[in-house]
Amino acid sequence: MGSLGGDRVLSARSPQVFLARVRSAVLFLIPLSLLVVIWSFVVNVFEINPRIFPSVASVWQAGVDSVVDGTLVRHIGASLWRIAVGTTIGLAIGIPLGIAMGVIPAIASFFNPLVRFFSVLAGIAWIPIATLWFGYGFGAITFVIFNAVFFVVAYNALLGVSSIPMQVRHAAASLGAGRVAMIFEVLLPGALPNIVTGVRTGMGFAWRGLIAAEMIATDRGLGYMLFTARDFYKTEVIVLGMVVIGLIWLALDRLLLAPLERVTTERWGMVGS
Amino acid sequence: MAIITEEQASLWNKLQVAWVRLHQHWPNAAATLPFVPLVLAWWLTAMLEVFPRAFFPGPGEVILSLKSLIYKGILPEYLLDSITRLIVGASAGVAIAIPVGVLIGMNRHANRGLWPLLLFFQAVGDIAWLPILLVWFGFGLTTMTFVIVYTVLFPVVLNTVLGIRSINPDLLRAAHSLGASRARIIWEVVLPGALPNIMTGLRNGLGYGWRALIAAEIIVGTSGIGFLMFDARRAGSVVEIMLGMIVLGLLWYVVDAWILAPIERATGERWGMVTR
Repeated sequence: MGSLGGDRVLSARSPQVFLARVRSAVLFLIPLSLLVVIWSFVVNVFEINPRIFPSVASVWQAGVDSVVDGTLVRHIGASLWRIAVGTTIGLAIGIPLGIAMGVIPAIASFFNPLVRFFSVLAGIAWIPIATLWFGYGFGAITFVIFNAVFFVVAYNALLGVSSIPMQVRHAAASLGAGRVAMIFEVLLPGALPNIVTGVRTGMGFAWRGLIAAEMIATDRGLGYMLFTARDFYKTEVIVLGMVVIGLIWLALDRLLLAPLERVTTERWGMVGS
Repeated sequence: MAIITEEQASLWNKLQVAWVRLHQHWPNAAATLPFVPLVLAWWLTAMLEVFPRAFFPGPGEVILSLKSLIYKGILPEYLLDSITRLIVGASAGVAIAIPVGVLIGMNRHANRGLWPLLLFFQAVGDIAWLPILLVWFGFGLTTMTFVIVYTVLFPVVLNTVLGIRSINPDLLRAAHSLGASRARIIWEVVLPGALPNIMTGLRNGLGYGWRALIAAEIIVGTSGIGFLMFDARRAGSVVEIMLGMIVLGLLWYVVDAWILAPIERATGERWGMVTR
């Protein structure tokens, strides 16, 4: 089973951390480049109608064009700004609230169904009512993102606090830990792996909610770019948009969220090493 | 629960004990009770007209619209459409996801080759597929099923891998040194060990599958609860939107409480992971 956590431990302990990172980046890119090769091969060999699926070259051309005339940057900027604002508010409220709800087991079990109820509604299901409340545009979309992040993170924080063994909490209490020490030294660290997972899932789905909301409720952003391209059967713009959406999320996930998760799980000794 | 009875018996503690007992004896009642103050607060907010009535109707109006939509036969039909789509999509998604998850979790090469693709396609997201799916398949069932399968797939795969990684390597080594074959290790160590995570993934995946379904129904717009809500939005009827949201929430609740929670509880308890 050394294969599972093996290379992580190596990269953390090796003196040439940088080289190891480059290596893992290259290893990461190989399957993706292979996919691009297969794509260009299939499109060329089977002569696929560009209205069904575009060729690699036409997507590249669409990418260059939209960078040159500045539309891509404008759409990306709009999407990123919305997700940054919505996520920040969601985290700022979701984490403290989730932990507060989990502090006392009886209260945690009281709030559990409520948070669960709202976490299935969070995000996309709010688009109709959010657009009525806030009108089409920034407010409605940011609200949808906030929603998605908030409920998932709060639910995971609640779950994380509930999953801390009672013995640990009793031990801390009997060693004289006060309420504040209990929260910052037992509950928050104990729930952290769950919270980080929650942030990752929540943001992943906030990103989807963003795309959906932008298809419906705005005049700029990546979702809007995709959906208007559909009206003109510009599959190269659609695929370009999908790739951009994928790459942005991948960068966000790999460079920000995954390292965060790795650091917490490694520090908590949850990866078999 | 020893801590509660050992402490002094104030009213608060009695309440706690009563709540815990309720939870043990009638779990369904305990799960419903928290909604009573929520609905009361909703009713009160609507009564006092904190927000304009047209934007924030009360529970009474929503129940009236529920009656009329059931009477007209719209709600049952749409509900059935949504549930069928979800069941078909989710079953297909899980059937693909668990084997893929086990493969990625167990095999170093599969991990190297598939993990980047998995992350990339998860990053693209189901919703971003909608425009091109509409070009390919038109406004129909195939588009929506594709989206749901896609949504359910990734949380289940990722959680299966996470679960497999969280298995204590000693257990695997022990099973191995006791002569278990690879298939037996997967069947008796890896899958049971990852099961709590798989269940979490399934729960997540289904929850988000609902969401994808709603988005697809809003955008594809032929029938279903999502369509009901967006149609109501076009007509400016907050009452029907709220009804749609409540129906979605309740339906999920039933699925969660009757199917997923018992399984998760059973695995969690059997694995000694719940410390309530």
